[in-house]
Amino acid sequence: MATATFEPVLMRTVGLRDSHTLDVYRKHDGYEGLRIALSKSPDEVIDIVKRSGLRGRGGAGFPTGTKWGFVPKATDKPKYMCVNADESEPGAFKDRLICQKDPHQLLEGTLIGSYAIGASRAYIYIRGEFAAEAEILSRAIEEARQAGLVGRNILGSGYDCEVTMYVGAGAYICGEETGLIESLEGKRGWPRLKPPFPAVVGLFQCPTVVNNVETLACVPHIVRRGWEWFAGIGPERNSGPKLYGLSGHVNKPGVYEAPMGTPLRVLIDEFGGGVPGGRPIKAVIPGGASCPVLRGEEIDIPMDFDSLTRAGSLFGTGTPVVMDDTVCMVRAAWITARFFTHESCGQCTPCREGTGWIQRLLWKIETGEGTERDLGILLSVTDNIEGNTICALGDAAAWPARGFVKKFKDEFLQHIREKRCPLDGGSLH
Amino acid sequence: MATVKVKVDGREVVVEKGTNLVETVKKAGIFMPHFCYHPGLPVVGVCRICLCEIEGRPKLVAGCATGAEEGMSIITRSDAVRDARAAVMEFLLIHHPLDCPMCDKGGECTLQDYTMAMGAAHTRFTFRKNTWPHEDVGGKLVLDKNRCILCMRCVNLCSDVAGQDEIAVMSRGEETYIGTIGGRKIENELAGNIADICPVGALTSKDFRFEARPWELTNVKSICTLCSKGCNTVVGFHPRRNKVLRVTARENMEVNKWWICDRGRGQFHNVHDVVRIPQPVRRVNGAERTAGWPEAIAEIASGIRETIARHGPDSVGVIASAELTNEEQFLTGRIFRDGLRLMNLDFPARPQPPVVYPKFTIEGDRNPNTRGANLLGGKAGRGGRSVGDIITAAAEGRIRTLLFLRGGPPEQFGDPTVVGRALDRAATVIVVDYATSAVTEMAHWVLPGVSHFEKDGTFINSQGRVQRARKVFTLRGDTREEWRILQDLGAALGVLNETDPSAEAIFDRIARTVPAFAGLSYTALGDMGAPLQSATANVAVG
Repeated sequence: MATATFEPVLMRTVGLRDSHTLDVYRKHDGYEGLRIALSKSPDEVIDIVKRSGLRGRGGAGFPTGTKWGFVPKATDKPKYMCVNADESEPGAFKDRLICQKDPHQLLEGTLIGSYAIGASRAYIYIRGEFAAEAEILSRAIEEARQAGLVGRNILGSGYDCEVTMYVGAGAYICGEETGLIESLEGKRGWPRLKPPFPAVVGLFQCPTVVNNVETLACVPHIVRRGWEWFAGIGPERNSGPKLYGLSGHVNKPGVYEAPMGTPLRVLIDEFGGGVPGGRPIKAVIPGGASCPVLRGEEIDIPMDFDSLTRAGSLFGTGTPVVMDDTVCMVRAAWITARFFTHESCGQCTPCREGTGWIQRLLWKIETGEGTERDLGILLSVTDNIEGNTICALGDAAAWPARGFVKKFKDEFLQHIREKRCPLDGGSLH
Repeated sequence: MATVKVKVDGREVVVEKGTNLVETVKKAGIFMPHFCYHPGLPVVGVCRICLCEIEGRPKLVAGCATGAEEGMSIITRSDAVRDARAAVMEFLLIHHPLDCPMCDKGGECTLQDYTMAMGAAHTRFTFRKNTWPHEDVGGKLVLDKNRCILCMRCVNLCSDVAGQDEIAVMSRGEETYIGTIGGRKIENELAGNIADICPVGALTSKDFRFEARPWELTNVKSICTLCSKGCNTVVGFHPRRNKVLRVTARENMEVNKWWICDRGRGQFHNVHDVVRIPQPVRRVNGAERTAGWPEAIAEIASGIRETIARHGPDSVGVIASAELTNEEQFLTGRIFRDGLRLMNLDFPARPQPPVVYPKFTIEGDRNPNTRGANLLGGKAGRGGRSVGDIITAAAEGRIRTLLFLRGGPPEQFGDPTVVGRALDRAATVIVVDYATSAVTEMAHWVLPGVSHFEKDGTFINSQGRVQRARKVFTLRGDTREEWRILQDLGAALGVLNETDPSAEAIFDRIARTVPAFAGLSYTALGDMGAPLQSATANVAVG
C-alpha cells in the first residue's frame, strides 16, 4: 500500500507540544504558503488550487478552485470568506482536530482563500459545542494579528484581511452553507433557496465563499509545494491527503491522515487496528451519518468521492463508522433517523414532516410492531422527501434510511416476522 | 421590461422576463397549486406544493422561486410533478386534525380544496398526531397550530407589510410552530389580513369565528369608507340573519393591493351595534312623535322656505358630511349651493395623523369623499362659510335653521359647548343620520338615513379614483337613502326639477354635466373604479 511512502501533511505537527502556537507552526514552514500566495495574483492562486484538483472536504466534494472562480470580479460589493467549522455530522470529528491542534494551518488557508477571492474579511463559523476549540482559535487569531498575519498590510504585501470568529448555537443545519450564512447574519439558521448561490449573493447579500476547515487547511500546502504535488496524491479527480475519522467498533478510533483513495479495509485494519475481539464487521457508514451504509463485505473500496458514489453510497466527510455483528441495523437506522428528525430545520414540508415519519416507522419495526406494509411506506416516504426539499438535509435523511433497508432487508423482515428485535436492541442504545 | 416566450405543458405564453413560474403557469391558464406563495409577500419557497419540471433540468424546481427565461419549457403534467404534489399533500396532512366540519376556514380553505383536487382518500400515517393548544395571539386572531402548515404568510405579513416583527417561527423540525415574540400580542392594525391569507384554518378571525360557514354568506364587492384611501372590500352578508358578518380585503392593485386595515374590517359593527333610527322623528318643545316621510319633507321644506323668506338665506346653514356619496354631494350642491344660494354650506374635515406601515398607509383624512364634496357641492362657493363659522353663527342666533346631513359626535363640528349652544339656540335643527347621537338627540327633525352598506353610490378617494360602494342589505324600518331624501327635499323646495330613480342615474347625470367626470359611467366603473380626468380632478368647483 502507498501509505508506507505517504508523509502526513495536514497532521504533521499535531503530535508536537504546543502545536497550536504560532511558534511551532512557523517552525514547520507556517505561513510560507501565504507569503508565496501574496506574491502571486489572486487569479494565479485560484488557478493553482484548480489544478491541484482539491475538492471540498465538507462532504459534497465540489472543486474548490472552481467555487472560488464563481465569485464575480466586477462588483463594488465587498466579498466574504466563510469558514465552515460547524462540523456536526455524526461520525465526523476531523475539523475539530485542526481547530484544536493546528489552528494556524486553518488561518493560513483562510487568508490565502480570502486573498484569492478578493475578500478582506473572513468569518470562521465554529460549532457552539466546540467551546475549547473556539478558545484556541480565537487565541490563534490574536497571535496572528500581533504578528502582522491578520489585519492591515499582511506581511507587507498591502493586502488587508480581518478574521472574525463566530460561535454558533449548535444546530446541525448551520453547517449547510446558506444556513450558516443566515446564522452568521444573526437570523434563524434556515437554508436559503438556491439560486442565487452564495458566490453571487451570500453573506449580507454579497459574494461569499463558504469552505470547510479541512479544505482550507490543504491550501497552504498546495501553494507551498505546488499543485503537481497535491494532484499526484490519490486517484485521479480525487487528489490529495485526507483526514479520516474512524469511530465505532475499531480498536483505535481517531483521526488519521492518508491519501485519498485509501481502501476502507486498510483504514479499519491498519489504522484502526481492526475490530475489538476480532468480531466480524457487519456494516460501515463510510462518510458520516448521511451516507448510505455499506455491508461488511463491501469494504474493499477506495475511500474517495467517485468510488463511493459508484458504489451507491457517499464519501461525505470521509469518516467511517464501523459496526460489528452486535449492532441491530434497524436500531442503527432509527438512531440516524432520530438525529435528522431532531436537526431538520422545519422550514420546508417534506423534510419537516417526513423525517419524523421515517423515525416513527423505524421505531415501530424495531419494537416488533411493524409490518411489511410499513417497510413499503418507509421507502415511499424516503422517495417523497428526496429531491423535493430546499437543502440537502432532506436527502441526507432519506438516503441512510433507504440504505439500511436496501442493504439489510433480511434483518428488517426478521423484525417484522418475529415481532421483536432479534438482537434485543443490539449493542446500540 | 423584456418579455420572454415560454411553454407551459406545450402551451405558449408570453410573460415578463423573470416572472415566477406560479404566475407564469397561471397566465397560461393551467392550474398551479401554491400555499406559501402570495404575490404581495416575499417568496419563501417552503411549502413545496408548486414543484414543477423544467425541461432539461434534472431536479424539480419550486415554481415560486424560479423566474421565467426565454424558451423555458415548464411541465406541470408529468408523473414526477404529480408524485411530488401528492407527496407534499400527504406530508401536510399527517399531523393535520382534519377537522374541516368545525373549522372556520372550511369552504374557503386552500388545503381543503387541494386535498379534494389531488389528495389521497386515505392516510398512511398511523401514528399519534402532534397536537398543540390554541393560542390567542392578539390582533383579533386565534391561532390553532394543529392546522398550521407553516407557510409563513402571517409572519411575512407582519414583518414585511406591517414592518413589525410580532410573530415568528419558533423551535425546529416537526416541533416548529408560529408564536408571538416574547409572548406579546400582535398589535399592528393590518393583522386582520392574516385571516384572509392564511391558506388553512390556523389563524382565524375572532370576530368571525363560529359565526357562519363561508358559503352561507352573500359576498358583495364594495369599498371601505373609513378614510380617504377607499380600500376595496368584500362584504360578507348573512341573508338569513340580515347581518354583515365580516369584511375582507379585495385586491385592487391601484388602491389597496391585497390589504385592508382592521378598522375597515370591523366597520360593519358600527352599523349593527348602534341605536338605529327606524322612522322620521319630530320633536316640538321636548315632545317627541314619529312622522311619515311626506309630512316630514313637506314641513321641513316649507320651514326652510319660510325662514329664508323672513330672515334671508344667511339664516339657514347646512353641514353635509364628506361621508356622503358623490350623488348626494351633487344633490347637496344643486339644492343648497345653486338652488337656495346658501353661503352657510360646508363639511367637517376630519384630519388625523396617518398610520404609515412600510407597505400600507391608513390615510390621515378620515373622510371617504373629501374630493367628491369639494368637487360636487358639499361646500359653498367663494365667500362661503366654514363649519366653524356656521356653528358660531347658530350659537349667536344668526342662523335659525340648521340642517346636518349626518350627525355624529358634536366634537367634529367644533368646541362641544359652542355646538351645544348652536343646537340649543337654532329654531329648527334637522338631522339626517342612521344612528342616534348627541346631535340627533337635540334635533327637531330626525330623518333616518342609511349607512353605506345599505345604499349604492360612488366615492372619490385621495388619489382621485372614483369607486362604487354597493348596497348590501336593507334593514327593517322606514329608512331612506340620503340621495332619495335630498331629491324629495329638493323637489319640495322647488329647486330641483328632475328625479332620478337610482344612484346610477344620478352618477350618469354627473358624468354628463360635471367636466371632471367626463367620460365616466356608472357601469364602466365596475368593481375596480376609474380615475377622474386628471386635469380637472384637483380643482374644486366654485
